[in-house]
Formats: sequence, C-alpha cells, structure tokens
Amino acid sequence: MDFITENLLTILILLPVVGALLTLGHALFWRQEGGLKWITLGFTVLNFLLSLFLILDKGASTASGFFFEKNVPWIRAINTNYHVGVDGISLWLVVLTTFIMPIAVLSTWHAIEKRPTAFYVFLLLLESAMLGVFVSLDLLVFYLFFEASLVPMFFLIGIWGGENRVYAAVKFFIYTALGSLLMLAAIIGLYYLHATATGVGTFDYVTLLNTMQAGALNFPAGSLTGTLLFFAFALAFAIKVPLFPFHTWLPDAHTEAPTAGSVVLAAVMLKMGTYGLMRFNFTLFPEASREFAYLFIILAIIGIIYGALVAMVQPDVKRLVAYSSVSHMGFVILGMFSFTELGMQGALYQMLNHGVSTGALFLLVGYIYERRHTRAISDFGGLSSVMPIYATLFVFTSMSSIGLPFLNGFVGEFLIMLGMWNSSALPITSQVNWNYVATMFAGTGVIFAAVYLLWMIQRVFFGKITNQRNRDLTDLNWREIGLIAPLLFLMVYMGVYPRPFLDASKQSVLAVQQRVTERQAGGTIEQAEIKSEATH
Amino acid sequence: MFLQSGLANPNTNVSIILPEVIVAVAGIVVMLYDTFFPKQRAVTGIISIVGLVLSAIVLLMMWSDGASAATAWGGMIANDNLRLSFSLVFLLVTAMTVLISVVWTEREDVPIGEYHSLLMFATVGMLFMASGNDLVILFLGLETSSLATYVMAGLRRTDLRSNESAMKYFILGSFASAFLLYGMALIYGATGTTNISEIAARVADPNFPALLLVGGAMLIIGFGFKVATVPFHVWTPDVYEGAPTPVTAFMASGPKTAAFAAFVRVFVLGFPLVAGASVSGYLHESWINALTIMAMLTMTVGNIAAIVQNNVKRMLAYSSIAHAGYALVGFVGAGMATTVEKRDAAIASVAFYMLTYAITNLGAFAIVNLLAQRNDRRTEFEDYNGIGFKTPVLAFSLSLFMLSLLGLPLTAGFMGKVLVFRPALEAGNLMLTLLVIVAVVNTAISAYYYLRLIVVMFFRERTDEWIAPRIPAALAVVLVITVLGVFYFGILSDNVIEKFSRSPAAAAIRAER
Repeated sequence: MDFITENLLTILILLPVVGALLTLGHALFWRQEGGLKWITLGFTVLNFLLSLFLILDKGASTASGFFFEKNVPWIRAINTNYHVGVDGISLWLVVLTTFIMPIAVLSTWHAIEKRPTAFYVFLLLLESAMLGVFVSLDLLVFYLFFEASLVPMFFLIGIWGGENRVYAAVKFFIYTALGSLLMLAAIIGLYYLHATATGVGTFDYVTLLNTMQAGALNFPAGSLTGTLLFFAFALAFAIKVPLFPFHTWLPDAHTEAPTAGSVVLAAVMLKMGTYGLMRFNFTLFPEASREFAYLFIILAIIGIIYGALVAMVQPDVKRLVAYSSVSHMGFVILGMFSFTELGMQGALYQMLNHGVSTGALFLLVGYIYERRHTRAISDFGGLSSVMPIYATLFVFTSMSSIGLPFLNGFVGEFLIMLGMWNSSALPITSQVNWNYVATMFAGTGVIFAAVYLLWMIQRVFFGKITNQRNRDLTDLNWREIGLIAPLLFLMVYMGVYPRPFLDASKQSVLAVQQRVTERQAGGTIEQAEIKSEATH
Repeated sequence: MFLQSGLANPNTNVSIILPEVIVAVAGIVVMLYDTFFPKQRAVTGIISIVGLVLSAIVLLMMWSDGASAATAWGGMIANDNLRLSFSLVFLLVTAMTVLISVVWTEREDVPIGEYHSLLMFATVGMLFMASGNDLVILFLGLETSSLATYVMAGLRRTDLRSNESAMKYFILGSFASAFLLYGMALIYGATGTTNISEIAARVADPNFPALLLVGGAMLIIGFGFKVATVPFHVWTPDVYEGAPTPVTAFMASGPKTAAFAAFVRVFVLGFPLVAGASVSGYLHESWINALTIMAMLTMTVGNIAAIVQNNVKRMLAYSSIAHAGYALVGFVGAGMATTVEKRDAAIASVAFYMLTYAITNLGAFAIVNLLAQRNDRRTEFEDYNGIGFKTPVLAFSLSLFMLSLLGLPLTAGFMGKVLVFRPALEAGNLMLTLLVIVAVVNTAISAYYYLRLIVVMFFRERTDEWIAPRIPAALAVVLVITVLGVFYFGILSDNVIEKFSRSPAAAAIRAER
C-alpha cells in the first residue's frame, strides 16, 4: 500500500504502458482479438480507480506545495530529473483523464473492426502521455510527454479516421509540433539563463520558480528575453488550446478522428494547452503575462464569438461541436487572463466542464454516426420520434454545454464572467472600464451557443422525419446509455455542488494568482478576495 | 630539437593504436581467407565482426582504466574522449553494416570477401581520423576510408546507377581531398608544424597570418565536402541513391561521422581563441561565422529539398545533409565554449548526436534495404503504399526511426538534439541563438517528410498484391539493436552522456612535450 501511494503518479503513468504491452502480447501469442478490448478496458478502469487515491489520500504536501511528489535524477549531464507531483490545478485534470479513458474505450466497443490491436495500444499509450503532461514538474520531462502525446493521436486519426484523415492527421501533427519545438528552445533558454544567474542550469520547475521568487532570476516588464520566452511557451499552448487564429487544425482533427479520438482530444488534449498556460506562463513570466493579457483576452473574445458564428453554419454535426470547442476554450482563456481568483477558478472548472460536456456530445454524435454513417444535419430530422432516449440525452447534454443553471456549464461560465468583470487586466479609464466591455462581448458567446446548439437540435430531432432511412433507427442500447450516464451524472453534480472541486483547487490557484499579480499596482487582489468571500 | 628527441625516443606506444591495428589485421585476414576459400559466404563476415568487437573491447578498456598516455607516437596520435567516443561509433556502424549487408550480398552475388575487407579498411581509416592529432595522419585516415568507400559505392558493377555513383563520388571526392591537402600545406607554411596541438600553440603568432587564413578556408571546403554541408553537398543525393543500400547506410553514418571527428579536432582544438592575439581572434571569428552560416544553409537546404523527393533513399540522403547541419550547431557551440569543461561537453554532444543519428539511420536503411529487393528497385515512396499492417514489425520500426530522425521525445534523436542545442545557447551569443531557432524551425519542416513515409505506409491502402519479405536473422539482430538503441539513448542515456563528456583532463591540449 505504501508502495502504491509513494509511487502513485509513476504507476498511473506506467500502468497504461504495461497494458499496451500486454495487449500487444495478447495479440501476438493468442492471435485472436476478442479479449483485447477487455484488457484495455480493465487497465483504464484500474487506472481510474488508482487515481481516486489522489483525491482520497492526499498525504503530506512537500514544501513546494505538491502532493505525491517524486524526484529522481534522469540525465545528470544536463541536470534533468524525473520530477512529478500534483497540486490543485493538475489534480482534477489527472482524474478527468483517467475517468474519460474507460469511456473512450467503451465508445468504440463495436466500431473498431480494422486493426483493433494497434488501436488499443495507441489509446493506452496516449493515456500515459497525457497523464505525464499533467504531473511532470521538470520542463524537459513535461515537453517530452507533451510531444509524445502527439504520436498516438496522429496514428489514431490517420488510421481510423474519416475520409479526409491523412490531411487532418498531418496538419494536426505539424501544427502542434511547430509550437512545441519553439517551446523546447525556450526551455533550453531558461536552463541557460538559470545557469548564468546561479551557476547551475536546471529544467526543474520548482527550482526555477524558487530562484525567480528569490529574485535571482527575473524578467522585468518589457524585457526582450522575457517576452520572447513567454511567447515561445504561449504559442505552443495557444496552438494546443486552440486560441484563435491557431484553431484551424482543430475542426479537421476533430471531425476526422474516430469517436474515441474526438472524445479524448476534446476532453483532455485541449486542456494541455490551458493547463500549460496557467502552470508555466503565469508563474514563470508573470510580468509578460500581465503585459500581454490584453492580447489573449482579445483573441479569446474573438475565438468565443467567431467559433460560435462558424459553428452556427456548419452542415456537419461533429464539425459544429468542434467549432463550439473553439468558443468554449475561449472562455477558459478569458477567465485565466482575468487574473482574479474567481476567473481562474472558473477557468479551471470550465476545463473540466468542457471535458465532460463536449466529450459527451462527441459520444452522442458517435452513436448516430455508427447507425447511419453520416453526420450531415440535412440527413436527419425528426429523430425524436424514433429515438426518444437519444434525443433526450442529446438535449440534456446540449443544455449543459450552453450553460443552463444547475448544470455544470453554468457554474464555469458564470465564474469566468464574474472574474472578468472584476478584473483589472484590461485598462480602466475614467470613461470606460474595458474589463466590463470584454465581459459583455464574452457574454454574447453564451447566447450564440444557445443559438447554434438549439438550432441544430431543432433540425436534427424535431419536426417530421424527412429522410425515410431514419425511420427504423434503433434507440440507444444499455451499453450506450451506461456509457454516457456517468457524464450526465457529473453534469448535474458539478452544476449543483461545485464546492468539492473548487475547494480542492483553491490553494493552488490562489498561489498562481498571487504570483502572477505580485507586482501589480493595488486593488486587484483585495477586490477579488472580497468577492470570493461573498460568494462562498 | 623536437626532431632529434623524437628520433631518440620515438615513443612508439603500440598499445595506443591497438584498436586500429586489430581492425586492420582483421581486414587482412578477411582478404587472405577470401583468396583461399572464395566460395565462403559467411566466414569473412564473422571474422570482421569478431575483429570489430575485439577492437571495441580494447577501446572500452582503454577508456575505463584512464591510465593510457594522452598522446603517443610523438604526439601524432591523440588518446582523448574525442577519439574514444567517436571510435566506438565507427565500430558500431561497421558492425551493423556487416549485418545489414547479409541480405544484399545473398541477393546479388557480391564479391563478399572483397566487400568485407574494404569495409574493414575503411573503418581503419575512420579510426585514424578520430585519433590523428596530426594533419598528416588525418589526411591518411581520410584517404584510406575514402578510397575504400569509392570502391564500395561501385560494387554493383552491372548497374549504371552504381557506376555513376562511384564515379561521381571518386571525382568530386578527390577534388575535395586536393583542397584539404592544399589547406594543410598552407597551414604548415604558416605555422611550421602539422601537429594540431602545436598549431594551437602557434596560432596566436603564426609566421604568415594570411596563409593561415587561406589554409583554414581550404580546410573548411575539404571537410565541408566530406560531411556534406551546403554548398558542398551536391554529390550526396546522387551518390547515396546510386550506391547499394547497405553502402549508403555506411556512408551516411560512418565516413560522415569520421569527417566530423577530424573537422572538430582541427578547428575546435587546433584553431582556438587565444586571448590578446589578433590573428587567432580573426581566424576564430571567421571560422565560427562561416560554419554558422553553413549550418543554417545546410539544415534549410537539406530539409526543403527532402520534402520534394519521391525516392526514399534520396529523401534519406537529403535528411543526412540536414542532420550534418544540426551536428554543426553543437560544433559551433564547442568552438564558442569558454572553458575546457564546456568545450569537451560540447564535443561530446556532437559525438553523441552522431551516435544517435548513426543508430537511427542504420536501422532505417536496414529496412529500406530489405524492402528494396533485388537491384534496389523498390525505393520509391509509392512502393511503401499501405504496407503498414502487412509487415507491422518492419513498418513500425521504420516509423520509430523516422520519429527519431525527426527528434521526437523518448527517442535517441531527441536527446541528440537537446544536447547539441545546449552548448550553442550557452554561448549567449545572438547569432548562435538565431542558429538554434533556425534549427528548431527546420525540425518542424522536417516533420513533413518524415511523417510522409509513415502516412504512406499506414494511412494509404495497397491496391496490388504485396508479399511481406521474410526477415533474415542478421537483419533481426540489427533491428533489435537499433530499436532498443533508439529507446535506450532516448530514455536511459544518462551513463553514456556522462561517459562521453567526462574528460580525463582535456588530453590533447596539454600534449606532452
């Protein structure tokens, strides 16, 4: 037991790899593919159960504020360590990942006929890489997992994707690789800067942060080095999120990916970007973060509105959901760059919400695609009379995505907008408080979300059955309902009682917020503090 | 004085060059055996591998006891980390090449003993290029390895492409050797010595500064040709495409690495920056600038040209040009290092980079060779269409090698790139920072063509019949070694890097006198 809790994160990362090897071995030695999905499912469920230890038994946090920390030397010549740990920011993302994976595996229970071995191996390797991203505290190790997660996804899209899969897969890979390679240059740059400042180069996030907080290494406002490093990191993450105008890979990748791929991509992989911004950009480059907050807020607002408008006119349901991701992730960025506790907590919460809601939407789209092998809105109409359960669940999930009160989306978006309203990230002049303006523009995104989702629902589910082929569609079976049930439960639970989630992340978010606003001229922190007291 | 003491006490420490001697003897044994038993198919291969392994064992022993002299043979042979680490890379490359060639030699009735002995003699040349601490030794080593390689490129006598390859390689190669030799002569004229440690000592105050600079420029041209840097690269694609695939694998990993060893020794150790002397400052600045620009050009031209290739061997040839550019980043970083420790670490990073490149490249060529079939017919991208799941072991290994060449984390290529970029950034110089950024952007460009092979293999469908080739035992060994090597150097390279960069007191510079 002690062994498990001491090495919990490492076990979480390695268990899927073991699963992948077993899957491979099973396929090689037994030469039959029936048991594969059971092995994969077993390993993902086991990983999920293990990850619950993270919530239940936190153990003692180390001086750096991380739990379950593990720090062993990896390559001594360049002073890089295998350093992992979780805090309030990464905790829920880790659990989200392990939670989504069994669902992703189950979602393709019958759909994957081509090369099932390779499919499950890649899915498991992907889980490892994604978990590694959220828990690594060494920049080089972080980069390693960040890049490694690309490869399985590349294969998942490229082999099991739709018609245009090759284009989508290559675009996905090159876009994200370009961004992260610049981040690699910045990471090595930080190593060198730390070496000049203290005599020892390091990739260790905690050490870097301590050096910076001690004042031995910092990037004052407007310094070229700080700006360049900030943007090298931010670009990698902005592409991943994706922030407008770097979003063009996303609709293609989402649309072409198999259902499991889309679910994982939306639910977890996009969060690697927002997580990275909050974890690394804010704390390592607080000055530059503040200096360029306006840029990110403007791009986020453009993303919110543009994503929603483009989603509205999509003829394909999956593409519509993909563009809605651009819009929703805009909210997350907005909340983060408000630099208020409410906004940042809301952003973190919205990451989870988006994972749950959009993951569920992709699952639902997958269900209908398996039945009809089309996703075009015009092919459907009046589905509610033949598939009542499906229609109900779809409407419910859409409501959560729109942000209906008492469902999860509402909490996140409300917190984000509240945070932005009280923010001082944008200039406040005597005539106009630009933070209010930003909030107002962002608020329209909620309305647009209702428009595109409800309009799509109307065309797909209501009215008369226009296409005769839809007459004898069967409604969802128990596997499909059981699969989405946990997500539906979470939508309600997170909408009604967000406290446990927010409480667990509070300390870490406050620490980041304090770090990023440290040298900001008065008001902000106190203001946010008062508001947060009022809401609790 | 020097000459006299050298004659009286020639310091002919044979044990220092034992690794070279072992390989040379193995080569001679192979040649003799082949003369008396011309029918054999495997024995010479086994003799070669035994020779290479013995040589590697001796090298490792010399490395771990650390008591061997820093230089020997009157300072003509250096025994430092540069020599030891690069030599091990060569031995690995040659051993792998012998194994890869099994498929080819069986398929095409190659004069096998001849081929193995040429390979061994080329290796002797390469070993001397790493250990030579004298321009003359370096030149001898370079010519020994080059001459053997020229012949190997043309071994497929009935094939016009192979003939063209050998001819081009020979003519252009001798032209480059002439430049090199001319440069060496001028350096000798300027400094009055061919010993690299001596040159380093006299470079601050040469007899004829102009000769020194012109000589340095000539050397850059000569070495630039051998490592295939832009603009001296034009021979590479034709030669690599035309030569038999195992020979291409060897040329891209062996002689190229050897040329790097000599290049690094002459420039980083021979032309250092000596404080307060204007000539050495000017020389140093010039070669750093020249190599920085060459590195940028090499990477960019190599990668962009690789994108438009439709032949896998040609694509790998351009990729090998691009990789020379990445290695140059570490090389320039070594030139800019401020302390001996940093310099040695940077040199080690170049050696490590070439090791990762060689192991990945050999693996890739081994598969290309197997899939190419008789006379290297199937080397177009089209021939790889949809074979992914028809031969999963080969296809996934090849994908792994492509990802390693691309420099994706967890593979050897990634570690290599991180290590060579580091010294360049450490220099804290704007131009070198720019160089690293160019390298990073180039890595992203290269993703396109490396991925293309994966895309072709896995994401496309095969329309015609295709029968997966049987994997012979020798090739299976190569695949196991290279695949494990790619992961080993990518994940657990800690000890190897330590070993490469920990220098037993910067031997060559403090040469015994």
